[in-house]
Amino acid sequence: MATVNSKPTRQLAMVFDLNKCLGCQSCTIACKTLWTDAPGMESMWWNIVNTLPGQGTPRGAFTHGGGYKDGKPVPGTFPSLREYGEAWDFDHQATFGDGERIPLHPRNRDGSTPEWGPNWDEDMGGGEYPNSFFFYLQQICANCSKPACLEACPREGLYRREEDGIILIDEERCHGYRFCAEACPYKRIYFNPQRAIAQKCISCYPRLEAGVAPACVRQCPGRVRHIDYMDNLEGHPYKLVKEWKVALPLRPDFGTEPNVFYVPPLAPSAFNESGEFDDSRNRIPEGYMRELFGPAVDDALETISREREKVARGEQSELMDILISRDWNDLMGPFTQNPAQLSRPVPEK
Amino acid sequence: MTAETSVRIVAARPAGHDAGSFGPFGSGWAAAEAVEAALQPTPLDAQPSAYVQTAWANRRHGVTPSARVAAAVAGGVLRVRVQWAASSPRPAITDNNVFADACALLFPLDGKQAELMTMGDADHPVRAWHWRAGTPDPFVLTATGLGTTSRQAMPHGVAVEAEWHAGEWAVVFSGAPEAAGASSVPMGVAIWQGATEERGGLAAHTPAWITLELPR
Ligand code: SF4
Ligand code: SF4
Repeated sequence: MATVNSKPTRQLAMVFDLNKCLGCQSCTIACKTLWTDAPGMESMWWNIVNTLPGQGTPRGAFTHGGGYKDGKPVPGTFPSLREYGEAWDFDHQATFGDGERIPLHPRNRDGSTPEWGPNWDEDMGGGEYPNSFFFYLQQICANCSKPACLEACPREGLYRREEDGIILIDEERCHGYRFCAEACPYKRIYFNPQRAIAQKCISCYPRLEAGVAPACVRQCPGRVRHIDYMDNLEGHPYKLVKEWKVALPLRPDFGTEPNVFYVPPLAPSAFNESGEFDDSRNRIPEGYMRELFGPAVDDALETISREREKVARGEQSELMDILISRDWNDLMGPFTQNPAQLSRPVPEK
Repeated sequence: MTAETSVRIVAARPAGHDAGSFGPFGSGWAAAEAVEAALQPTPLDAQPSAYVQTAWANRRHGVTPSARVAAAVAGGVLRVRVQWAASSPRPAITDNNVFADACALLFPLDGKQAELMTMGDADHPVRAWHWRAGTPDPFVLTATGLGTTSRQAMPHGVAVEAEWHAGEWAVVFSGAPEAAGASSVPMGVAIWQGATEERGGLAAHTPAWITLELPR
């Protein structure tokens, strides 16, 4: 099947605006309840929001190898379940029962107290007071144009959809070898121990096919997530990525050419030693921004600042209008169908 | 085309033993001569994945040097026992990065033309009975080259029993071989050691078909 990885006719793309995320995890829960509540999927978070700077999910999210360097695959590892975070148990009876009230606390499968979990270091952030900072980073499978996962699988267990470039795992073909999980530099592939297969974000393709935006996009109260086909020259991803060049791939050095892009966070100016604003420095260190988003982040941040100042002066800015998206339907490109107005198929017994 | 090795396993036809004594470490096996079959790692450059080739370039795979193979026909049932050393057994997939030990018996579907090390090719399919530790039901794989395997349920009458004891796995496949009624069957053996993360095409194989003789 030489066609599994051929270039799609259209490419779906998303842009997440890191300046607007509340860290509420509504996206995470929308995904969880829709796709990963079956047995064997308990510890999967196809969508996860982590505080940066921080460890990410799994712990040390970007340190496990995979992706490409100089066009060659980079060996990777698949972190353990504990490094991703187990699905914990909670003894509700002990807390809410009739006996002595024991505060609710999580337990691993073996009864031990967790020492790590998804989003474990929430809101800890980095930097030194008064220049401390943090922001939230949302992650899903980025449907990469050079999908290391797909290319690693020796048995064509993954394929790229011709109509939109979505990367899917064929659960019939997957034999649970987990080379894909090692090769994905973003560690966005999970393992279902009950079915011994790999599973990951499917971009809510059944919703897309019905004109409905992915659950994480539609449920986001922060209006962080923009979606459209990249070939729509009026669409937000095209405008933000290609025209305004303010939306950038995460860790472009991983070489997988992701199709999820990020508007980098614009923090307030840093304080100098005498406690005054130093407008020449952003509170988030430039080096850290470049590490995450590559050298293009400097220009992107400058463009955002410039356009923001324009609006502050009472002028118009197409960029700010797109980023604000006063009508939330504008975020969703062609996927504005309200799912509540669709008839639901009755699940087969 | 894979050459046939001189390795021959002659199925014993013991009398007076009940089927129960042919469990993995059953006493019935005393009547069957076990033959040590040398194994080799599958060729890395034949792996259909640049990732696998790169990631394993400086790692060892197919580390099982040999397997002991014996066969017996008792009560009308053919049994093949495969034993191999596994000092760090992996009896189940217990984590993202844990790989279970596994074993397969391979049969060419076209006589002896199929290349064993690459699981046959488009014109020369290979079939395998596959057992993986911790997976309750064994399955059958049909392959026309590395990376092409498809899984089916075991045919009726084929069963697998396995036990790890004192540093060694013993796996007994019982049921009719592919060429039922033939007096000799070409067969291959493949072993995956979970401890070295072997899976898929990363295994140790008999380098060529061995012969399983079924005296009348
Ligand atoms: S993010 Fe990872 S899983 Fe998704 S397409 Fe890219 S390499 Fe594959
Ligand atoms: S739902 Fe939106 S605002 Fe909330 S965490 Fe997800 S991306 Fe951020």
